[in-house]
Amino acid sequence: MNIMWIAIGAAAAIGLTALATAWAQSRIGAAGAAVLAEKPELAGTVIILVAIPETMVILGFIVALSLILRIGGG
Amino acid sequence: MSRVRIIGPKDRVDAALRAVQDLGQLQLAELPDRAGVGPARLGPARERRRRQLTRLLEDVRDALHSLSVAPQRVAPATIATPDFARWARLARRTRREARTLLDRQTALRDERALIARYREFLLAVLPAIRKVDGSKRLTSHAVVVPASARGAVDGLASALRAELGAEFTMSAHPLPGGDVAILLILPSEFSNRLDARLAEARVPEVPLPDAYRSLPLAEAVPQMLARLLAIPAEVEECERNLAALGKARGGEMRKAQAAVEDWLAAASARERTAETGHAFTIEGWLPARSVGPLEQRVREAAGATVIIETIAREDWGAEDAPVVLSNPRLFRPFEKLIALLPLPHYGTIDPTPFVAVFFPLMFGMMLGDVGYGIVLAALALIVRARAKPGSLARTGAEIAGPCAAFTIVFGVLYGEFFGDIARRTLGVRPLLLDREQAVFATLAAAVGLGVVHVVLGLVLGAVTAGRKDPKRALGRGMSAVMVLLIVAALLAAFKVLPARLFTPAVILLLVTFPVLVFAEGVLGMIELMTTLGNVLSYARVMAIGTASVILAVVANKMVGAVGSTAVGLLFALLFHLVNFAIGVFGPAIQALRLHYVEFFGKFYSPGGRPYEPFGHGTALAVPLTQEKPA
Repeated sequence: MNIMWIAIGAAAAIGLTALATAWAQSRIGAAGAAVLAEKPELAGTVIILVAIPETMVILGFIVALSLILRIGGG
Repeated sequence: MSRVRIIGPKDRVDAALRAVQDLGQLQLAELPDRAGVGPARLGPARERRRRQLTRLLEDVRDALHSLSVAPQRVAPATIATPDFARWARLARRTRREARTLLDRQTALRDERALIARYREFLLAVLPAIRKVDGSKRLTSHAVVVPASARGAVDGLASALRAELGAEFTMSAHPLPGGDVAILLILPSEFSNRLDARLAEARVPEVPLPDAYRSLPLAEAVPQMLARLLAIPAEVEECERNLAALGKARGGEMRKAQAAVEDWLAAASARERTAETGHAFTIEGWLPARSVGPLEQRVREAAGATVIIETIAREDWGAEDAPVVLSNPRLFRPFEKLIALLPLPHYGTIDPTPFVAVFFPLMFGMMLGDVGYGIVLAALALIVRARAKPGSLARTGAEIAGPCAAFTIVFGVLYGEFFGDIARRTLGVRPLLLDREQAVFATLAAAVGLGVVHVVLGLVLGAVTAGRKDPKRALGRGMSAVMVLLIVAALLAAFKVLPARLFTPAVILLLVTFPVLVFAEGVLGMIELMTTLGNVLSYARVMAIGTASVILAVVANKMVGAVGSTAVGLLFALLFHLVNFAIGVFGPAIQALRLHYVEFFGKFYSPGGRPYEPFGHGTALAVPLTQEKPA
């Protein structure tokens, strides 16, 4: 397979999921900071909420690695 | 927890309450709702005293806050005789004096900030002002125009120039923040019409400091500049006076605070007792092991006529009982990680021991480097030695210790010492797997950990539910079995396990499926899908770990990549430092998340009431509003 397309695929897998995670975390993080200012005892819940979207970029990272190592033969 | 009831003659209630407070183990329960039993009243004298002491406490807290006296608990037992009247006078006086000093300090700082704002302008226009001061015909005016009205200044200048001709001059100086300071020199006889002209030109004026507004500029400017030099010494004097006041009266104020809070707590507790015409009753919760000491103390203080009985477990609901986490010394620091969430329900599983094992394990699996582990262990030891017992830093260090140990263990398994240094220099080989190369094996290990952790969560969920809801317990158990069967089927399909296991695994899955639907309904299927997603989520253990090792390898490569070895070494050290910081923070957050979301989601039942026993230094007194000093 054309190595260029593998590289683009891997970049898209990590790049798009990173953007999606960043966008989601920015919204949740801002709201979470506001919540903590009012109710510091909700720190645990806020950590959970902020950390939830990270699954996207982590799975994106694994897909990108799989593309490069398995298909790319690297 | 045990629920106890203390019953005795009404005249022994104060002695009994004092004994309860001295022991500091009983959490007072809500008033029992029975016929003929009513809540105790404080009486007019005590009510009056409570109002007085509440005011006194407000004065004390405000004084301590104003004096920035560090909070330090004084044991009420060390106070021989509370002298509330003297403390009230002292607190009022201290509060007033501290407020006066703080107000003075604020005024001085404001004055300095205001003059400092004009300083550049004043220095620039001083020669011109002095020149005009010698002339009888001309006079000078300083005007500060806000940033929003800058456009109107040019219009004003044109109008005045047209009206006054060559005798009018104007110089403008931008100030920090966008405002413009303007010096106007114009004929003396025009001076009294200037305000009207400014108003006509819609140029609003920002006033100069009050003290200098009435003075001619030639006098005001040198005075303002001299004042700028004098203010810091006056501010320092205020600070010295505040510190001296805090030193002289802080100790006494703390004593007063402890004694008053203690009295108010006792008064609030008194109101939570119930009484009839002749008897009183107190109900509350305490750890079962403390029932004996409570009986002994109360009998000693209030006499044998006071009876203490333990209420049978069937007569109280778990939802009312307070929760206290009680774990072995080694696990106790990890209770702080549980404290970030609402407490678990009474009678459900305390997850601290599981967190104490799996949190450092996951952390070590992610960071997995002997070098980083040693650095983390050293930092943990230093912080632990320096931090006070019970402080957040000490707890953090005590959590970091096991994390460092697991990091070193996994570092040995991965053959990593600050990345690939040991491999390149000493030819060390990994004992288990090379994370840099064996990406898929690392991924399998991470997901394998996920299977173990999630299945353990499901089993704990089944145990928790089993006590009250057998059907739900069956559903949880069946989910755990199905996760294991799915993993077995996948491993057999990929020939990691013998291929002949595939068919039995699938058949068993088909058998367990209706049981799951029976136990948990259609939602059970959706939950099973979520559970499989949860297992995949553990892939982050591999992702974070791989990123960490690759960054460490990149750091090592910098030594040869940059021309000079010394510069390369410096870059490498810097990169390792950054990687270490990320490597500690990232795995800690990710391990925490895997516990909170993936693991706790299977069994954790939040909603427990915290255990807040009535004792000395407890917060039963009404919290007062604390006004911050300006």
